[in-house]
Amino acid sequence: MNWLYGAWAVFEKDLRLELRNRYAVNMLLMFVLSSLFLVAFGIGETAVSTRVQGALLWVVILFSAAVGLGRSFISEEERGTVLLLQLNTRPSMVYAGKLLFNFLLILGVNIVALGAFMLLLRVDVRAPGLLLSTLALGALGLSGATTLLAAIIARAANKGPLLPVLLFPLLVPLLLSVVSATQAALPMGNGWNEAGDELLTLFGFAGVVITVSVLLFDYVWND
Amino acid sequence: MSDTSTPAAAVNVRRYRLVRNVVAVWLTVMIVAAFLRDIPRLNILEHTARNLYFHVPMWFTMMTAVFVSAYHSFQFLRTGNPLRDIRALQAARVGFAFGLMGLITGIVWARFTWYAGAGIWWNFDPRQTMAAVQLLIYGAYFVLRTAVDEPRRRGRIAAVYNLFAAATVPFLLYIVPRQMHSLHPGAEGNPAFSETDLAPAMRPIFYAAVIGFIGLFWVLYTQRVRLAVLKKRLQGDPEF
Repeated sequence: MNWLYGAWAVFEKDLRLELRNRYAVNMLLMFVLSSLFLVAFGIGETAVSTRVQGALLWVVILFSAAVGLGRSFISEEERGTVLLLQLNTRPSMVYAGKLLFNFLLILGVNIVALGAFMLLLRVDVRAPGLLLSTLALGALGLSGATTLLAAIIARAANKGPLLPVLLFPLLVPLLLSVVSATQAALPMGNGWNEAGDELLTLFGFAGVVITVSVLLFDYVWND
Repeated sequence: MSDTSTPAAAVNVRRYRLVRNVVAVWLTVMIVAAFLRDIPRLNILEHTARNLYFHVPMWFTMMTAVFVSAYHSFQFLRTGNPLRDIRALQAARVGFAFGLMGLITGIVWARFTWYAGAGIWWNFDPRQTMAAVQLLIYGAYFVLRTAVDEPRRRGRIAAVYNLFAAATVPFLLYIVPRQMHSLHPGAEGNPAFSETDLAPAMRPIFYAAVIGFIGLFWVLYTQRVRLAVLKKRLQGDPEF
């Protein structure tokens, strides 16, 4: 089977299943919105620095990814469709399809989170293009790391809250870069001048994470 | 069950005993020398400079352990030999202990020298951050191992996580220094000596300490591998 066709088929299957009950999308949106409301209520009228604003936004996004993306492989185990996928596709196709689906999911959630965040915390944006690039590259790195770890926890016996524990230590470099880039895009920041290195780092992080995932995915998937 | 009294084939016991004795003598001499030999007195640092003999080798040892652990994880994925999994786990455990010691010696050192008046315990020094992240990763690695019951699957999943983490940590080397100020040698306003102009009087003991603590790592790690293999045999594991 053609590799691109196989990967696309896995993606299409996930998308179709998601559109049937919209569990992951709804859950992620509600998670992001309710936690941002909590943050907004907690802060109240106080003015917080742009660094804190960026950190709050990204911590909420990381938590939502850790909660929402863990399902992507567990659901295959629950439906008993792992064997079918193993028979009909190569591991890298499954990884690529799932990665694409998770990336789009997280990107959508990020954009909604950003809108709610600007509204609730009264944030102005100085460089919208920069902020959107940061969100997109952040979503790429985040989904790259989460997809492999989701496959790992689907193999574990006690799946519960394992994903955040595995995920967060690996995301420290990502968090530092996205928060700096977000800060640069907010009113006190220097826009693109300051964030070029950060975006490059995010791009590199996503590249490394996805490459290593593709190499290691076989060992998790073919059990 | 009958061969539990014989040394584990996984470990050359004669070599282990030899290295253990050498390391015991070596470290004793080195520690005595570290406390008694004269060192150059620098403002602020004074006698705390002796911590160099303990704090810095802890890091070298932890980095060695990280490499050993990742190497054996890689070999486990390649060969599927369960001994490799044991080696990766035990190297990670001993490395975790050394990392913790390095973190504590560093925190206490900084607190009572250049933060003496400020009362700051935690600072965002790049190396401290990297060490903390590495400890968190190993913490997650140990938790992940307890979440899988079947040994082969556990070994493989843990090895994948170990290697995945090993690929992301170097990023901190490039990212963190651009965002955080360092207390460590080479950075501005740092009262410590840098690695390149480490006082000549301190060099011999420092190098001896690095070798001694890496030797101690080898002894503890080999001992734990031996113990783990013997336990597997006692449990009647057919693969050992």
